[in-house]
Amino acid sequence: MSGGFSRVIARALMRHAARIMPAREMDWGAAMQNELEAIADDRVALHWAAGCLLAGYGQRANDMLQTWYVRLGVAGVIALLACREFFAPLLIFAYRMHDLGLAHFLGLRTAGDDYRRLIPVMDATPSWLPVLWVAAGLLFLIALWRMLRRSEGSVLLFFLAFALDLIGAVAAKSIEARAGVVVTPNILVRAGGEILMLSTGFLLWRMTRKGVRPVS
Amino acid sequence: MARTPNRSRQTRRLLAAMLEQPLAWRYGYELLKLTGLKSGTLYPALLRLCEQGLLEAQWRQADDPGKPPRHVYRLTRAGLAFAREQIVPAGEKAGVLLEAKA
Repeated sequence: MSGGFSRVIARALMRHAARIMPAREMDWGAAMQNELEAIADDRVALHWAAGCLLAGYGQRANDMLQTWYVRLGVAGVIALLACREFFAPLLIFAYRMHDLGLAHFLGLRTAGDDYRRLIPVMDATPSWLPVLWVAAGLLFLIALWRMLRRSEGSVLLFFLAFALDLIGAVAAKSIEARAGVVVTPNILVRAGGEILMLSTGFLLWRMTRKGVRPVS
Repeated sequence: MARTPNRSRQTRRLLAAMLEQPLAWRYGYELLKLTGLKSGTLYPALLRLCEQGLLEAQWRQADDPGKPPRHVYRLTRAGLAFAREQIVPAGEKAGVLLEAKA
């Protein structure tokens, strides 16, 4: 064993790995750190330390995902995604039922601030599409409920809702093309919604994975 | 959420290594060499198996004076039953899994 540069780096990484382990797993941090001293080869020790650092961050991330504030944040985003699914059906319903006050109110929350811009699209939208969006919204809400209850199946429901949303988005795109109206002109806003969904789904999967212990 | 034992390939490889000498206490580095797993995979798996009561860990004084104590691991009775259930019915002899080191 030597005190070479690799060894110094490895020890520094291990100290950091041991420090970032969750408090109740400090013993494991010390175990990984002490094991380093049993590895004679400096390069192997450096690889060992790098792996332990990843393990330390992984454990810390798992721990954080089980805290009430992260769960609340994810729950908030899922609720927001559900509301997003209900928005278009509600606007179409308001327009078709001639509730123009509600249509105007909702229209102010669309690009262009006016529902009348969207009339050709709403006229061309088949009835099954709002039903699909409502189904996606309901699935998001059920996934949210199951996540809060720590029941199984929330990830499956979430991604089922995501799949319905994608089908709806593809169908809506062709309707928009036929009607000659772009509902959301900003591509960043459009892509942002899908990225938000995917990242929320990933977090949900991480926090509900089998073998992850709930801490709060 | 109910905690169920992990059945990933890495966990099975670790269990297969432990099954080679089920009563022996093993060091973490020794398990790494036996399984070919990276430390970043090995330790979370060890930790999870310990939390699930399938492995037991204890501190052991190092043989060399001046070296810090090390963690050693061994299958519990439940772990032994689980490992046998995981490795043998799948037709995966411990050696076959260990030969397939990544």
